[in-house]
Amino acid sequence: MIRSALKISLPILFGFVPLGIAFGLLFQELGYPWYFASLMGIFVYAGAAQFMAIGLLSSGIGLLEIAISTFFLNSRHMFYGLAFLESFGNWNLRKLYLIFGLTDETYALMTTIKVPKNFTKERYYFFITLFAQIYWVLGCTIGALTANALSFNTNGMEFAATALFVVLLIEQWIKVKRLLPFIIAFIASFIALFFFIKHMLLVAIILSIGSIVLLRVIKTKSNE
Amino acid sequence: MNEINYLLAAMLVMTISTYITRLTPFLLFGKGQESALLNYISKSTPPMVMTILVIYMLKEVEYLTFEIVYTFIALLVTTGLHIYKRNALLSIVSGTIVYMFFVQT
Repeated sequence: MIRSALKISLPILFGFVPLGIAFGLLFQELGYPWYFASLMGIFVYAGAAQFMAIGLLSSGIGLLEIAISTFFLNSRHMFYGLAFLESFGNWNLRKLYLIFGLTDETYALMTTIKVPKNFTKERYYFFITLFAQIYWVLGCTIGALTANALSFNTNGMEFAATALFVVLLIEQWIKVKRLLPFIIAFIASFIALFFFIKHMLLVAIILSIGSIVLLRVIKTKSNE
Repeated sequence: MNEINYLLAAMLVMTISTYITRLTPFLLFGKGQESALLNYISKSTPPMVMTILVIYMLKEVEYLTFEIVYTFIALLVTTGLHIYKRNALLSIVSGTIVYMFFVQT
């Protein structure tokens, strides 16, 4: 099971390590010891929020503002858990960790893959989540440690995250085979981009879910 | 030392904030209390989230520049390879290498 989970989590490695390195490099400019970059990856474990934190920390902004900005930046995650209400199993430490590790990438991967029949879902998910976080912490640490001595040109490596989402989008298409969710999300994204670029992700997700619920309600009403 | 305390406090606050966002649905909707509508939402959300994330990642690309050309080529490599071979690693690594090649030359 561990080997299978490791293998299936590898695409996240290619998304997380370069992104983590980029974070570590930038974080070092704040002048803290390198291991704080690793600690951020271990405890905060949120890509976008960690990048935002670099800006906030350098301006010395208040803790309440940090709390509120982090909350809003990550509030899209509120919708992610819906897919795993059943499959994260009973309340225990493992479930708390699975929830802690529910990032864009793990959500994307775990809603796309099929858990092999002979494995328990929550245990399989646990290893994927754990490996994903290891990749992230590894990236953050490498970035911070090599900030002053990087010989390898990592420019453009951030495309790996885009490529990961593209691959998972294709997989979703193969799995779902209904055009509607994709079209709705496409339109919602552009509305969000034009009117709410700062909160594009959250607005696009709320618009998409709102539209799909509305369509569903209209459909059931007209069937009655 | 004061600065380290500030950083530690900021990290604590961010950890709690992030965890709350991820924990909320599990607190609101207990196990076994799923409705047909909730089920429908959770089924439709992954394809929508993936679409949104891809557009989000590409939103910084400046159009009418060379960047849009090589981003498109890299996307084409990733997509084409994935449809042809369906090997996630191969598609991601190849697309990224193509992209890095254009960025660095």
